[in-house]
Amino acid sequence: MKKAITLVLMAALMLSLAACSSGGDGKAEAVTKDNLKVGVVHIMDLGDQGYTYNHDQGAKKMIAELGLREDQYIPKFNINDTDVAATNAAINELVNEGCQIIFATSFSYGTQVVEAAKAQPGVVFCHATGSDAHFNDLTNLHNYFAKIHQARYLAGIAAGLKTENNHLGYVAAFPYAEVISGYTAFFLGAKSVNPDVYMDVMYADTWGDALKEREIAEALLNRGCDVISQHSDSVSPALAAEAAGKWHVGYNNDMAPAAPNASLISARIDWGIYMTYAVKALLEGQTISVDWGEGLETGAAYLSPLNTAIAAPGTQEAIDAAAARIISGDLKIFSGALKDASGNPAVITNWDGSEVLFTFENENSVFLESDEISAPAFNAIIDGINIVS
Amino acid sequence: MSEVGVVQTIMDFFNAAVLAATPLLLATLGEILTEKSGNLNLGVEGMMYMGAMAGISASWLYEAAMGAAANGLVSVLLAVAGGILAGALGGLIYSVLTVTLRANQNVTGLTLTIFGAGIGNFFGELLGMRAGGYASITDVTKSMFNNIEMPLLSKIPVLGKMLFSHDFVVYMAVIVAVLMTWFLNKTRVGLNLRAVGESPATADAAGINVARYKYLATCVGGGLCGLGGMYISMVRFSGTWVHGCVDGRGWIAVALVIFAAWSPARAMIGALLFGGLSVLRYYMPIKDVATQFYDMVPYIATVVVLVITSIRQGKERAQPKACGINYFREER
Repeated sequence: MKKAITLVLMAALMLSLAACSSGGDGKAEAVTKDNLKVGVVHIMDLGDQGYTYNHDQGAKKMIAELGLREDQYIPKFNINDTDVAATNAAINELVNEGCQIIFATSFSYGTQVVEAAKAQPGVVFCHATGSDAHFNDLTNLHNYFAKIHQARYLAGIAAGLKTENNHLGYVAAFPYAEVISGYTAFFLGAKSVNPDVYMDVMYADTWGDALKEREIAEALLNRGCDVISQHSDSVSPALAAEAAGKWHVGYNNDMAPAAPNASLISARIDWGIYMTYAVKALLEGQTISVDWGEGLETGAAYLSPLNTAIAAPGTQEAIDAAAARIISGDLKIFSGALKDASGNPAVITNWDGSEVLFTFENENSVFLESDEISAPAFNAIIDGINIVS
Repeated sequence: MSEVGVVQTIMDFFNAAVLAATPLLLATLGEILTEKSGNLNLGVEGMMYMGAMAGISASWLYEAAMGAAANGLVSVLLAVAGGILAGALGGLIYSVLTVTLRANQNVTGLTLTIFGAGIGNFFGELLGMRAGGYASITDVTKSMFNNIEMPLLSKIPVLGKMLFSHDFVVYMAVIVAVLMTWFLNKTRVGLNLRAVGESPATADAAGINVARYKYLATCVGGGLCGLGGMYISMVRFSGTWVHGCVDGRGWIAVALVIFAAWSPARAMIGALLFGGLSVLRYYMPIKDVATQFYDMVPYIATVVVLVITSIRQGKERAQPKACGINYFREER
């Protein structure tokens, strides 16, 4: 009797294994609109009303634009990007469920995504904010990020025109190029309309700790900053500005509904444009570019509606004019003889500062951000920006 | 480059420390009361989430129902009651599981943390969805949390702004700390409660209803934790639901209980110190000191205090003896 049960169990096990492997073989067949499955590894869930919410909106837009069924989008939420085991498990589950294309939304998934791309040559991997694709010759690995610095530059114009004491503040997540590039663009935008501005920056050392972000925002406001902006995930800096009767420029989501008297404008990313492009290319058998970084010209980076009730007069006109010059290529954001605090030419280095990649030598120096490699690289601290802590 | 002077910076720093300290103090007081009954409730974080969510929900739903006729005072009272009741509900769940059903205290507390955080974020976001993005209370209710300028006292230069110009919850937290000191040391009921925490068998023999004391202390303690959560959502986030708003402050409160050596009076100092340390970097930055170092300091301080108290072995400064152990009358 026992032997019979063992045999039955073994048969069942082998059958299930066979079923698994046949599921895996499914990848080999041509990708069609009907059998397509799109997996997305998200760092948080929709409740953040920020980065993940935005990325999920992008996936839903892609589904709608390509006329796919809702069940063809398989999201994995709350996959901590520092948790290697959880990241691997999420990617494996998506592969096993038959996804032909997988998007990973956070920078620190990088190593796991590269490993998975090597192990699963039949699956297309797209990694946001990363730069591994450029340095690998894997044909199924791609990086993408929007030229958000363009939108931040424009949002900076709203701040520069609004400030009454020329003192700006910035709640920054980490001292990484992505963040430095963002706040420098914001500062340069403000400076383009108000040459007297200067800016205090404080790091939170986290992408999202709402209370900490609020405490930092309050400290900046106490220091005298009258317009603050942020590269962090929650709405709490906007709430701090609202409570203090000061102004704010947001990121990821339109923050005006939460802080109607403080939120001037927000810089946003439309992930749907890339996701639609990548999935469409897969369906049509076309190659997906190794690095993708579009900006204002296609709407991949854009602005929430200007809060005209509180913005300085002429803000919309100034933003529109600058936007037109950015789109035409007339205006390059990181250009000219940028200086550091001690008056030397600003330099962009690699991640650990051991190698100088670019020097702003003279008026003709132009650094094209997110052009060749989609991940931001500008990491110079320029004059006028004061890193408080 | 800051255009504010040194005195102003110190005042700003102190006031920021008070804002950071208030939810910590309320939760610490709640946990002290709970542990005095012999219940080691590690679910502080969860109860704070429940209080944060219930406080904002009560206020928001009341405003939605009343429209323009909403009264700020009623709205705030509802928020306070909602926060306390939700936290007390967490305490009640804990008591039923550990006192009546005698489940393991550590496991129950950890479960309560996860449960409370889930419940809080779920209903908080549901509220946000109903409000169409962000759930926010109106300015009428927000203004009730404005700083109360004490007559005459708040006019004292420097000190007036530091000590006599805060929102009502701050004063409430201080009053609760003072009352709890008196209650635990000077009243019969308070002494009975301490007896239950030190030796439930002795208390039982003396005719004290052990279960009732444990239930009441844990529920009231949970209510205080819930009030701390309400302070976070209603004051620190201006009555807007923010995902993950409590984010570990409940655990700091658990550490503070040890730091304060189970004394409500010392909890005030401890909360102010921890609150101050958490915002120190933003007001007194030192170049070249790693930012992560500032984040470590409160915990290093807790470890140092633990080492010192365990060397001194004072009975007054130790955890209640029966804390963490369920009481079985049959095993007496």
